[in-house]
Amino acid sequence: MVKRLVATFLRGGIHPDPHKEATRDLPVVDFPASLQVTLPLIQHLGAPAVPLVKKGDVVRRGQKIADSPDSGAPLHATISGKVKNIDRHPHPTLAISQAIVIARSAEEPLVEEEWIEDPNWQECPPAEILARVREAGIVGLGGAAFPTWRKLTLPPDARVDVLVLNGAECEPFLTSDFRLMVERPREVLEGALVIARAIDVYDVRIGIESDKGEALERMGAELRRLPASPVEISLVSCATRYPQGAEKQLVQATTGRLVPLRCLPSAVGVLVQNVATAAAVREAVRFRRPLMDLTVCVTGPGVMQPRNVRAPIGTQLQELVDFCGGSREGTSRVIAGGPMMGRSLPRLDVPLVKGMNGLVLLTGPSPYTGGYDACVHCGRCLEACPLGLEPDQVGVYVEAGRQVETETFGALDCYECGCCTYACPSHRPLVQFMQVAKSAVRRSQAAKVLKG
Amino acid sequence: MSATRPLILSPGPHLHSVESTSRIMWWVNGSLAPAVAWGAFVFGPRVLLTILGSIAGAVVAESLAARMLRRPASVGDGSAVCTGLLLSLTLPPLVPWWIAFLGGAFGILLGKMIFGGLGFNLFNPAMVGRAFLMASFPLPMTAGWAAPRPWFGAPLDAVTTPTPLTTLREHGLSAAMQSLSGHGGPWNSLLMGFRSGSIGEVSMVLIALGAAVMLVRGIIRLTIPLSVMAGLAAVTAFSGAPGLHLLSGGLWLGAFYIATDYVTSPSTQGGRIAFGLLVGVLTGVIRMFGGYPEGICYAVLLGNAMVPAFNLWFRPHRRVLAGSPS
Repeated sequence: MVKRLVATFLRGGIHPDPHKEATRDLPVVDFPASLQVTLPLIQHLGAPAVPLVKKGDVVRRGQKIADSPDSGAPLHATISGKVKNIDRHPHPTLAISQAIVIARSAEEPLVEEEWIEDPNWQECPPAEILARVREAGIVGLGGAAFPTWRKLTLPPDARVDVLVLNGAECEPFLTSDFRLMVERPREVLEGALVIARAIDVYDVRIGIESDKGEALERMGAELRRLPASPVEISLVSCATRYPQGAEKQLVQATTGRLVPLRCLPSAVGVLVQNVATAAAVREAVRFRRPLMDLTVCVTGPGVMQPRNVRAPIGTQLQELVDFCGGSREGTSRVIAGGPMMGRSLPRLDVPLVKGMNGLVLLTGPSPYTGGYDACVHCGRCLEACPLGLEPDQVGVYVEAGRQVETETFGALDCYECGCCTYACPSHRPLVQFMQVAKSAVRRSQAAKVLKG
Repeated sequence: MSATRPLILSPGPHLHSVESTSRIMWWVNGSLAPAVAWGAFVFGPRVLLTILGSIAGAVVAESLAARMLRRPASVGDGSAVCTGLLLSLTLPPLVPWWIAFLGGAFGILLGKMIFGGLGFNLFNPAMVGRAFLMASFPLPMTAGWAAPRPWFGAPLDAVTTPTPLTTLREHGLSAAMQSLSGHGGPWNSLLMGFRSGSIGEVSMVLIALGAAVMLVRGIIRLTIPLSVMAGLAAVTAFSGAPGLHLLSGGLWLGAFYIATDYVTSPSTQGGRIAFGLLVGVLTGVIRMFGGYPEGICYAVLLGNAMVPAFNLWFRPHRRVLAGSPS
């Protein structure tokens, strides 16, 4: 069933220029096999994974080479070769982390990889699905990189009755999820069925922004070809409006349910997964194939030939940029992820890590280069905030050194979508003010607990 | 990477809308150009001198004050020009340029810079300037109403003429309508501006045109102007002349351009409705029971004083209630 009414979250939001034309119509291309990959032992929040191999070991692609001691996810070799070293290496977001480096010689022929299908994958029991998802090292591929098996392990009191798949891809520039839905809609849908089975849900809604008509069509056509199943999947065409793909906003758009502040979607009976994560889950359950490659949209005005690239985790970002024709003169900023919520990177000699779905090279000065002015109380940030917070007040309080008093303005509820900062005509760094306020409020609360 | 310069590290978001405060201010100034041109046509080119005098006063005061307070030069952001322009458009056409200059300078100095500059002022600087002129130069400020050019092509005469609201106040509704009877009927002369009045308020059509530009560009919302008009209509409904009140005086200029000033109006929708209603009601009360035929200036200043309270009372509603699965 394709829902054609335009659904959306109701409050706030902005309409940045989508900038997707550079890569929207380019099929995903495979990155030619690297000679070396660097696999940081920290791929997501939590304790680092513990290596299962040592220097000099011969590993093949797909072999588990490190596992998490606690609630994380394991790590797999993404090329076949020899463990060159296990040492400290530059990390895209942490500056430095322990990493396993695997190298292969150029003469060695590439082995065609084979993954044997589990003929009974559709009857796989929920516990087994979770085990395979964990074993495959899957994390949320929408950018958050939270271990998927943990997200699928619902608290015993949670009653989830809707699975929402996030195909909104509301970040400007990025087209990797769009290409996935256009090129491999079957994998997304089968992944959705597997996840629905794992959490015992019969209502799946896939939210896609309305400007991605081709994705809606391909997914709709594939949906009609899907064999009958008790799980009802519906496509929801959502308004093209940032942050349509933020968890709380997408839940409202696709189900009409409002996730309360400081709650997870499970508070209103919803679980959200990214479409790329769903496709990875299908690989893990149907073929026991671990997460080894990511589809990265290498784009932005700083890239010579923007492309959607599928590359092994651990590939150097510089190699990805070179594969896309290199960077242009005047490239001033490199963003991992989308330009609204992504992080700017200080260097390109860092490896691709799980959850990175975009690499955006921007030219020109940053929006913060020219400094900022006093708040003119225009109210644009209040109109833009999807949560109804008061970034204007938080900013004024932080400037006055009174950041501890900002909880009433929503400092703890902000998830830093950036709408307020985008809209501010005085170029005030409101997200940063929110960050300052958030940590100050948390610190003072912790101090109170210690005293009390 | 071929770039030799280091990469810029900054927090997100890494994109920004093209809008900036100075861009907004210059759009506001530009949208007033038709009203300025029309004022010069109806009352003669001498009013341009008054307008320039007021702008010059505001700009000189802003740059001097910025230097004295050791703040970065802010004249380029267009807000001082905006203050001077708006003040001048509320002045009677016969006010000499140097009085306008003093008004603009006073408004910026004591209405804005003394509070710390743009963003920190409590009261609308243009209206502070006007209130200062009303107190200091009562005669030119209340009697300087030039007769409008009677019709296209006709020569100007320098006779002063009471405004429709003054006539309404002193001689009643029928006399006021009588004074507007030329040029295809009273409503036509109100809309087109062939009547006496301040420099910029005379043509509703051109003020509305400027307001439409601001609305389309998202600079203002209709919340405040409509609330002001609703407040005024409610108070004047029983006077028999709500239409005349709504279409005359500086109401449209005040509702669309002065009451909507970002800094001195509330930033939440609820606050804006309350603020607009208060300004409208006060305008009506001043016009009907107060000492002036025109009321928007003091109504806006009184409304400004309430803005911090409105911001406190009408905060955005945050949804913290737990929903329940259907």
